[in-house]
Amino acid sequence: MRRLLHDMNPSVKFIIVTVSMLTMAFFFNPWTPLLFWLGILAMQLTMSRINWKLWTLMMLPFTLGAAGYLWTTLVFGADTGGEVVGSFAGIEVTDKQWAHAWSLTFRVMAFSTLSLLFAFTTNPVTFVMSLMQQLKIPPKIAYGTMVGYQFLPVLKDELNQIRQAQRLRGIGRDRHWGQRIAGTRRLLIPMLAGAVRKAERAAFAMEARGFTGERRKEFYQPVHICSRDYVLAGIFLMVLAASCAGGVLLGN
Amino acid sequence: MREAVVSLADVSFRFPEDPDNTLTGLTFEIHPGERVAISGPSGCGKSTLLYLLNRLYPLNCDGIVEGDIRLFGKRAEEYRPGEINRLIATVFQDPDSQFCMTTVEEELAFTLENLRVPRSDMDRRIGDVLAKTGLAAFRHSIIQSLSGGQKQRVATACALVAEPEILLLDEPLAHLDPLTARNFVRWLDGLQKQTGLTVVVVEHRLDLWEEFFGREMTLGPGGRLLADKPAVPKPPTEFPGRLSRMTAKPSLSVTGLSVEIGGKQLLAPLSFEAAEGEVSVIAGPNGSGKSTLAKALCGIYKHNGTVRSTGTGYVPQSPEFLFLTNSVRDELAFSGLAAPETLDDLAGRLKLEPIREANPFSVSHGQKRRVAIGAMLADNRPVIIMDEPTSGQDAASLRELFSLIDERSREGVTFLVITHDMEFAAGVADSVLLIKDGRMTGKFRAEDVWEEPALLDAHHLLPPKGADRRAPAFA
Repeated sequence: MRRLLHDMNPSVKFIIVTVSMLTMAFFFNPWTPLLFWLGILAMQLTMSRINWKLWTLMMLPFTLGAAGYLWTTLVFGADTGGEVVGSFAGIEVTDKQWAHAWSLTFRVMAFSTLSLLFAFTTNPVTFVMSLMQQLKIPPKIAYGTMVGYQFLPVLKDELNQIRQAQRLRGIGRDRHWGQRIAGTRRLLIPMLAGAVRKAERAAFAMEARGFTGERRKEFYQPVHICSRDYVLAGIFLMVLAASCAGGVLLGN
Repeated sequence: MREAVVSLADVSFRFPEDPDNTLTGLTFEIHPGERVAISGPSGCGKSTLLYLLNRLYPLNCDGIVEGDIRLFGKRAEEYRPGEINRLIATVFQDPDSQFCMTTVEEELAFTLENLRVPRSDMDRRIGDVLAKTGLAAFRHSIIQSLSGGQKQRVATACALVAEPEILLLDEPLAHLDPLTARNFVRWLDGLQKQTGLTVVVVEHRLDLWEEFFGREMTLGPGGRLLADKPAVPKPPTEFPGRLSRMTAKPSLSVTGLSVEIGGKQLLAPLSFEAAEGEVSVIAGPNGSGKSTLAKALCGIYKHNGTVRSTGTGYVPQSPEFLFLTNSVRDELAFSGLAAPETLDDLAGRLKLEPIREANPFSVSHGQKRRVAIGAMLADNRPVIIMDEPTSGQDAASLRELFSLIDERSREGVTFLVITHDMEFAAGVADSVLLIKDGRMTGKFRAEDVWEEPALLDAHHLLPPKGADRRAPAFA
């Protein structure tokens, strides 16, 4: 039960997440995104094992963003139709504004929770393999992504080395963001010089092992779609449909 | 004799943008089960030749091939893309950039999927090749967590899983330290005896291969075949005799230095001194704290204890990490600490005059190193720490590094050189600082340390070959 979302086929999950997000975009009442958000949270609580501490940390910027949406819509919202439901500090808030503000806020919360659900329960390698097997992404793109993924820790290490070496040359930690952006050029040139070399080597190594970019018929570790994926997709769609219906009912 | 697996008749090769041939008039045959070394200085076209054999060239570079290349009796251009890789497999030099999957098993499966091996066969073949190569315990290991030597063995397994007839290796030892390299060669030796594979290796440091090869081809300028004869074990790179330039004036004095990062002690307190003009080699197993010591000494890492020095500089393994400007001239002048006359003098002594207006990223590796040292000296840092400058260098480049260090030490510069290469150390070092598990074993006089194979062995080092001859009793 607690592994269900982790074991779900990544391509199916990806499609469901995309469909949910697109659907949400059509609802402007506050209830639909709120219900959907709560539904996602409930699914995540019951069907995944994730590090909730890290999750909270990652949600923090999104929550701040959501609060920002609430505030700006209430204060600067152009739509001022409807009845005034309250006022403070000279700002009058109408019921429409109130509803829109909360709708946007919950939408941000729902979208970010959904994205994190995907990110926290999906192994990137399986995701790419599944994209290639189920959604027929060309192997060149799929394995190219894989190589890039393997390079990430190497590049991170290299970036550290370059930073340290440059600090020795008297390049301090840039304080202003303007300086920082200008400073990335200095970091990027040595990084790119190395990356181009690495990319060519990796491409040669792959080709020397018979990689031609042709579609393959058999995989060592096939990623399947099984009944579990249909059930989970069904649950997702039910939550989505229920929150849409609930939102419309409660909104009236 | 069985039919040749590779046969070249008057083959020349040229890159489209290059007026001169990279390979010229090559004619030779390779027979099944042979162990062939292709040697020659950097840039003589060795790797190009290898890429013609596994068909990476000419397709990948639009190169122009003349003459006739036959692989297994069939003209090379008649093979479909990827077809020849079933029969001819390749291992490359950089252990960090020849994998695309996460675990060893997935990586092996990648080869098999490319070759369209039926899935029912994959498991057996993966199991077989892992057993044959002695890597069964690593089946589910994360590749990026393995050491350089282990990665090269995995790369070899990934080549062998295709069950090829010929194994090509492109400087497979370049990024390994000598002990790991020797173990890799012995491992490959056993594997070749077991399988009867044809092995063709491009290599500029044949001394590391001991008696592995049966035949040696030497390429010269323009990619001409200079010699093709039975191989003999090569002596290591020789360095000219060197007089110690050590003075009595201390330039670096370290007391109770320790490094702790994130609550973990990386270096236990250590103390030592170095004098002006002294060349000291820092050696020890991978991960023992050599780089940590270097970075603590020049102030990149925070540390406890005191470091008194006239100014410590650091040259990373890739010198270009230090570069900040678009010309060698600006690079030297960057800190603004040195007067123009001093810079002219430095550029002259480091032979940077001809490339002063060049972009530091586009000059040769040896020149990059000179620019880096010049920049450090211009910053008033006469104690220079070099991080693994010997890794992946050919004989000519090692000799250049030797003379660079020797000349500077004559000017009173102190060097601390991190290296695994004890032949190089024997040529250049006045003293050797041994480190293991984050502790300094001690700072020894170079002559003394070569006489103690047990001590060297405990630090994963091979005694220099010259020392073997001097002290056969220990060998």
